[in-house]
Amino acid sequence: MYRLLEKGDEEPVASLLTGKVSSGMTRPLPSTVVSDLAEIVGHEHVITDPDRLLVYESDGLTAYRRPPRAVVLPSSTEEISAVVGLLHSNGIEVIPRGAGTGLSGGALATPEGVIVGTARMNRILKIDVENRIAIAQPGVINAHLTEATNSYGLYYAPDPSSQSACTLGGNVAENSGGPHCLKYGVTARYVTGLTVVLAGGRIVELGGVGRDPYTTLDLVGLFVGSEGCFGIATEIELRLLPITEGVRTLLGIFESVESAGRAVTKIIASGLMPAAVEIVDGPTIEAVEASVFAAGYPLEAGAALVIEFDGTDTGLDLDADRAEQCCLEEGAIEVQRATDPEHRVKLWTARKKAFGAMGRIAPDLLVQDATVPRTKLPEVLAGIDDIGNRYGLKIANVFHAGDGNLHPNILFDRQNQNELESVERASKEIMQLCVDAGGTITGEHGVGVDKRQYMTLVHGPAELEAMAAAKRVFDPASLFNPGKVLPAVEVKGATDTAKILAIGE
Amino acid sequence: MRVDLTDSLSRLLPEEAFGHSVPSSLWAALRTGVETVVAPGSAEEVATILKWASEMGVRVVPIGTGAHTYPRYPKDPFIVLTTSRLNEIQHYEPADLTITASAGALIRDLSTETAIHGQWLPFDPPDVPNRTLGGLVATGLSGPLWAGYGQLRNHVLGATIVCGDGRALRLGGKVVKNVAGFDILKVMVGSRGELAVITSVTVRLFPLPVVDQLLVLEAADVSELVSTARAVATAPIMPASIILSATSDGGRLLVRLHGARVSVEADQKRLEKHTGVSFEVRNTPEAESLLVQERGSGINTEFAVRVWALPSRIGVLLDVLKQVPGVSLNADVYGGSVRAYLPVNLSDIESSLAGLQKDIEELGGTIRALRIPAEVNASSYFAKPLVDEGELAAGLKRAFDPHAVLWGIE
Repeated sequence: MYRLLEKGDEEPVASLLTGKVSSGMTRPLPSTVVSDLAEIVGHEHVITDPDRLLVYESDGLTAYRRPPRAVVLPSSTEEISAVVGLLHSNGIEVIPRGAGTGLSGGALATPEGVIVGTARMNRILKIDVENRIAIAQPGVINAHLTEATNSYGLYYAPDPSSQSACTLGGNVAENSGGPHCLKYGVTARYVTGLTVVLAGGRIVELGGVGRDPYTTLDLVGLFVGSEGCFGIATEIELRLLPITEGVRTLLGIFESVESAGRAVTKIIASGLMPAAVEIVDGPTIEAVEASVFAAGYPLEAGAALVIEFDGTDTGLDLDADRAEQCCLEEGAIEVQRATDPEHRVKLWTARKKAFGAMGRIAPDLLVQDATVPRTKLPEVLAGIDDIGNRYGLKIANVFHAGDGNLHPNILFDRQNQNELESVERASKEIMQLCVDAGGTITGEHGVGVDKRQYMTLVHGPAELEAMAAAKRVFDPASLFNPGKVLPAVEVKGATDTAKILAIGE
Repeated sequence: MRVDLTDSLSRLLPEEAFGHSVPSSLWAALRTGVETVVAPGSAEEVATILKWASEMGVRVVPIGTGAHTYPRYPKDPFIVLTTSRLNEIQHYEPADLTITASAGALIRDLSTETAIHGQWLPFDPPDVPNRTLGGLVATGLSGPLWAGYGQLRNHVLGATIVCGDGRALRLGGKVVKNVAGFDILKVMVGSRGELAVITSVTVRLFPLPVVDQLLVLEAADVSELVSTARAVATAPIMPASIILSATSDGGRLLVRLHGARVSVEADQKRLEKHTGVSFEVRNTPEAESLLVQERGSGINTEFAVRVWALPSRIGVLLDVLKQVPGVSLNADVYGGSVRAYLPVNLSDIESSLAGLQKDIEELGGTIRALRIPAEVNASSYFAKPLVDEGELAAGLKRAFDPHAVLWGIE
């Protein structure tokens, strides 16, 4: 019933090779629209100056760039509603954007699109200590919510690596994870209610603590992870957790990633429930040790395993003892245990600073993201190694081992055209490898523009059409973040609906 | 059901699909007598039935065992589709803490299998062992254990479904983190068979707790228990569940702690310090039978409602509900919901219910019928979604069940 568009049917597909998704000039907005927008949000919050728009030409995935026609920065639900209403009534696409730290090009502008940024919507509206919920605007930075609730003995659990910069609205759009989601789960577990602005500027409230969930469908759950393609969340109700009493952090050094991986399997199989289980491999250790973040890891180490337990203080040493035993049984060279906060920070160094450190050893870095069943980690890692060798590429692995969530980082030099081609091919092979192992093409970074081409590896035409149908329920004319998530498809023999089915292409 | 319709269906399916019985409580919930029951043996047969129903204009009520089906009033000809023959464990990988089973597999059977490897599904809605995996997912019920483990919706990793028009879809996957595309799977959890028939499910498992300790506090004064319960819910530790049950004779607070022996003991001390009360301790199996008794109490009553509000409002809700003569109450203190089992001989049921509904709504809560005596017109006691949410839900209904074959949002 559906077929993928052939090459040439659609606008140039985003590609590392071209570096930009569009070489054409971005068309300025009609002046009447600009002045109407200024009327709503104030002149200083409508950006049309080409130099200032450059800041918004990419998100954290800088391989794809395109400046928007304009950027609008509203400060309230009502302003977002009015802005979206105005833009949509003029047939102008809206690209929602938080802090722009996303790694899949989800906030990349479309040729006809205007970015609606949430930077000014940075207020925590309510902290309900008794019910352990907070209501925040989408521009609130992830870490700020935890800082604001700490004094009540509470915190916000999802902790993406970019948590000191990324916004809660972006977390909702991407259903973000983080090292501690092994025990605590990803963003979706914590979002209990939303106020959203949908197509045409319609304001809708979804869910909420205290509402009977069985009176409707889980629309909150569907909205979370919709990557800005359904609408903009303007108020976010989030569940908070009590701060745990104690933390124990272990660092195990192994000769190989395989033995570190076996230790992880042993720890999980023993019934322990660590808060985080992270692995960095040899090439990553090498990069970290060569950088300003050097933590004194042995350079010959093949892998470093960080394990963290949290909870009631009394039981934690016991858990840590058992985990240490698992590591030693699987051939750990050494196991360190943090006894104070500074030591804990040090043990986390290689994991937390891995991405920054890689800048030392290669000019460009492609951060990949995929999930496989945990038991398939050793064979998949060996496969990635093999792919790297075949293409002559250095691949450094950092991963959430407890979840089977891999981040193979491909190091390259953009100036080298041949290497770029290899990076693209190797990337695709890695995706295929993970899918063949029973995994998926993204665990936490989202599809955005980057992974659209891989969606057919995991989903058939019927599943993709079902996703497109869900989008149409929220955004019938595809005016929210078109060209993201779903690959371009069309109905054979269809006429006027074909454009809509092509998800805005 | 007209005989010729049944005949036309019987030509499409093997003999084994027919002649299956369902609990009589199902017919009470559907307010009708015995109708055609069909038990497909594969996802393909599910698709055959739904396509046939679309063509014939027949409606389909999907069930697991049918014992926990919530009340609905069929107006058109309908058949009941039971997943009872789809009951195999398809794939269990203990090291990945995931299990995939057909929709009709009983939780009891899954638990037996996973317990061998020291694992379990930490969900405890009433009578959970006798629910099917598909039925559990379709109702979206987590039970009070969601305080400690999170809701079922967060642990369903994948499913295969057959949409109302017979389209088979594979949603999610077998991995614990997956953001490849829009999360349609979430909508299926708790969709009560209104969008699609779930044919198999992959769910995340958890290690069985080393110690499953139950703290018990009994009192004649329910208000006293409520304040202790709320203090537990705002304590610096997170219990696995907090259940408060009450009748006119008094009440009982059950706090469940999971973990290693030393941590459970330390947690108990912290809770007692925080609340200023001393709990009685019960361990398995005594604890288990107490929990089954509390969670299962009233499961067979004919008349039950469920009330929801902010967890901090539990006390005022219980104050209202306990005024009903002969009522038995069971509250999930963390989640903010109360099941009220009402006596069928309650005088003037309709006006009593209306009064209760008014009082509860004034307190910011909602009330919904779970089971209601046959002579009562209960349709006004099914809580209605907000208008906007209803429109979006109706849009999804059209997308997944375009011919409205499956009973649902109307």
